[in-house]
Amino acid sequence: MAAYRIGQVSRLTGLSVDTLRYYERIGLLPPVARGPGGVRLYGEHDLARLRFIQRAQRMNFTLEEIGQLLAMREDPQNARDDVRRLTARKLEAVEAALQELTHLRDELTLLLNLCRASEGGCPIIEGIEEESSTTQSGQSSRKNSTR
Amino acid sequence: MASAVLVEVFAAPGCPRCGRAKTALARVAEPFGDAVRWREVDVVAELDYAVSLGGRATPAIAIDGRLAFTGLPDEAELRRALAERLNPPSETKENRP
Repeated sequence: MAAYRIGQVSRLTGLSVDTLRYYERIGLLPPVARGPGGVRLYGEHDLARLRFIQRAQRMNFTLEEIGQLLAMREDPQNARDDVRRLTARKLEAVEAALQELTHLRDELTLLLNLCRASEGGCPIIEGIEEESSTTQSGQSSRKNSTR
Repeated sequence: MASAVLVEVFAAPGCPRCGRAKTALARVAEPFGDAVRWREVDVVAELDYAVSLGGRATPAIAIDGRLAFTGLPDEAELRRALAERLNPPSETKENRP
């Protein structure tokens, strides 16, 4: 089984060694295995857990919430009701973010295709400005029938 | 008789094929008279709407709010799609005297 020293894990995850020690201290990571001389040896399971923490942080979940989600992740069948409710709420937040991202991806795809097909200029900047002003005014810019 | 069909042609400033798509649409729509209404959608101005219909490039054509053609439309296919929308096959069979 692969084992990584704390410096390696820091490079792999982008987390500082202090942060890795902190996560272990507050229980986000279970006590990490120790090798000769007491050096921490992280396994694949620890790395997967750290990546989960990072993903959840990118979704602006607090460390406390992440701790509860990790409990659910470890033992979903026996999770407490409040942890299940939190997980359901967080799932909704992830779904909403996913929808936003999907819409943004589709917009950018369309704008980029317009750029590729355009004879002159690129409407991307104008498109983003239009989007911004439409959002601010809350008005639809749909035009009337041309016929 | 079905209600009038709304055809939307998705175009953008500087899109070289959009003008040809509009010309083709105007030519195909003409014989249908008032049964076919059409409008041009500037995708830059109506980005949200274009994306919500699945528009990913221009030109594109939607019929009654559903994306029907991407790219320059084949006029015969467009004509057939409009005719089918105005006289659905099942309606034609059942309702014809």
